[in-house]
Amino acid sequence: MNRSSSIAFATFFGLGCLLAAPGNAQQEVKQEYVPVSREAKVSPVTQAQLTAADKNATNFLLTNVNYAQTRFHPAKQINRDNVKGLHVAWIFQTDVRESLETSPIVVDGVMFVTTSFSHVYALDAKTGEQFWHYNHKMGPITTYCCGPNNRGVQVLGDLVYLATLDAKLVALNAKTGDVVWKTDIADPELGYSETMAPTVVKDKVLIGTNGGEYGIRGFVRAYDAKTGKLVWNFDTIPENSVGVWATKDATGRDMHRDIQAEKDQLAKLGDPYKRLGGGVWQNPAVDLATNRIYFVVGNPSPDLDGSPRPGDNLYTDSLVALDLDTGKYICHFQYIAHDVWDLDAVSPPVLLDVKDKSGKTIPGVIHAGKTGHVYVHDRKDCSLIRFSEAMVPQENMWVLPTKEGARMLPGANGGVEWSPIATDPAQELAYAINLHQPMHYRVENSPYPNGKLWLGGAFTAIPGEQQSGNITAVNYNTGKIKWQVKTPEPMIGGILATAGGLVFTGEGNGKFAAYNSSNGKELWSFRAGAGVNAPPSSYMLGNKQYIVVGAGGNTQVSFKRGNNIIAFTLD
Amino acid sequence: MSASPRPALAQSIAERVEVCAGCHGQDGKPIDKTIPVIWGQPSGYTYIQLRDFKRGDRKSEIMQPIASSFEKEDMLAIAEYFSNKPWPDLGQPRSPKDVADRALRAERSVGCTGCHLDQFQGTGTVPRLAGQSREYLTKTIADFRTRARGNNPGMSDLMLATPPDDLAALAEYLAGL
Repeated sequence: MNRSSSIAFATFFGLGCLLAAPGNAQQEVKQEYVPVSREAKVSPVTQAQLTAADKNATNFLLTNVNYAQTRFHPAKQINRDNVKGLHVAWIFQTDVRESLETSPIVVDGVMFVTTSFSHVYALDAKTGEQFWHYNHKMGPITTYCCGPNNRGVQVLGDLVYLATLDAKLVALNAKTGDVVWKTDIADPELGYSETMAPTVVKDKVLIGTNGGEYGIRGFVRAYDAKTGKLVWNFDTIPENSVGVWATKDATGRDMHRDIQAEKDQLAKLGDPYKRLGGGVWQNPAVDLATNRIYFVVGNPSPDLDGSPRPGDNLYTDSLVALDLDTGKYICHFQYIAHDVWDLDAVSPPVLLDVKDKSGKTIPGVIHAGKTGHVYVHDRKDCSLIRFSEAMVPQENMWVLPTKEGARMLPGANGGVEWSPIATDPAQELAYAINLHQPMHYRVENSPYPNGKLWLGGAFTAIPGEQQSGNITAVNYNTGKIKWQVKTPEPMIGGILATAGGLVFTGEGNGKFAAYNSSNGKELWSFRAGAGVNAPPSSYMLGNKQYIVVGAGGNTQVSFKRGNNIIAFTLD
Repeated sequence: MSASPRPALAQSIAERVEVCAGCHGQDGKPIDKTIPVIWGQPSGYTYIQLRDFKRGDRKSEIMQPIASSFEKEDMLAIAEYFSNKPWPDLGQPRSPKDVADRALRAERSVGCTGCHLDQFQGTGTVPRLAGQSREYLTKTIADFRTRARGNNPGMSDLMLATPPDDLAALAEYLAGL
């Protein structure tokens, strides 16, 4: 991959002339553009840099800015007064026109972005020129829900870490894109796939798995960053998944469980832990002070039919904390026991100081749910301190799915989907993007289908009922909504807050906008021409702050596809 | 150990795909409209179908005996072989606007493109639907609804959640893409 560009171009054009000479003069000469790889001059990323990422305005080193996942970037050159002058600095077009969910990572002027089907590009963050392109040779068998997405890479040392749709973990040379090592994570034929960005910390690569729609047994794993060898595995579904037979959700609402029928099923079937799902879609937050990680676990399998899976289905729909070095369980909190609506926990948790019930400031962890609530927890034991006002309409919760279809709000995408939230700790605000999709929840019964789609029914958007979205700022110390901006379509992608007093987020219709983070006033917008359904990043280069975002639409909520990475700056 | 297994395998694939052409067509156009196009189909999908015929998860008096003799590597190789063939044009007409509108409304409700992708081209283990035989689509949708086709209960659930008139529109729309 480390070829000299001038030699490669000379060879290419020389060959083109030879081929063209004997041909018909009127015939078009096909000149395929073959991008030439150049070495990306990127210095090794140290653990110290990653640990201090929260104070680093120059780079964007971790998927959600820092290990606490605050999505608060300290750069402040672009602010409320001058953001109206923001304009395109460059546009890079990837080779893949499909759902784009990447979080751009920026290391000393080199940007790493990914696309659907697990491609990686290294770009010049100043000009958008391509250094190298890793085109993953996908295995024939991929089994995944919600699009062939990839949400990004992370860098440690001189390696770039990628998890692929065919469930492999790949380490690339950051300078050249060459494969340094590759590890099989799990068998895609059984329903495992990878779309999340790994988290790198203390010489480990942390990764979860998708597959909650396919009857997998979920996990979070740590791999050795240098060798790709497994360090530890945590099954998100314990062998005793039954729990405490909770009848109410985290907010105290009755979930209409028939506990006796479930107990009878349990006596008949035994613990259903082997095929109970529990995917982990997004990055864990890392607390280096206590050496813990916090992540959320997705829905049980099958999604809508609870009959083959009696019990609370631990740790599905839960916040879970583990010891970083060993992967040993520390605590959990389950939002919805025995979920039959797929209103699970997906958006990455954020570590912040929060006020407890007595008003004392303590280390907290917050998560925005598909239910439309922001949940605030005590980091010590995962217990719930409070939950916010609902950010989306809630109706008929928790009506049980029926064969004919039962109407309930929110729809199964949320509330808040996988989209990461942003926060501004100085304002005590969390910013979440939400979907509003009225749906019918239907139940069907079928046996485990050997790694095939296993929904146990269907959730269908109700034709004729208006869908919409919103951007909501929630005070996590009071649970009150501070401001809300309504959007014409459901929102999926992500949001970024900056020290310039702004939040940036995009919509499925191609609009990408900046808002005053204190009151939600729109201050600037741009039309990208395809759905902006990816989390934005920010970085500094040559004393200029840039905002960058992917505009490639979305598969899960069908928004117009494209293939653009767009960077913005002032003047 | 020094014998090269590759030519033998290649030969056996060539022989085995001869059988396929009898129904699926010498030129990729099936001899009967209820038989699916397999040329150009993503290899993961064809592999899984062969695997399921062998296991008995998908029923077919014709396909089961054929697939039962295959090992995994044969099935992968056959699937790869057909995925590299061009998708044939069955000459099916574009659906009229009212049919297309109805089909797309149904698609938005269920979210077909969440797996079959934007242009219904399929990928990996998910089949291409664009330009597939209308009669085959109609039949296999009906078989999903009755679970006569039992190798993808998720698809059965989604088809059961969609009104039959909408499914007819979908089959016509997809065939005409």
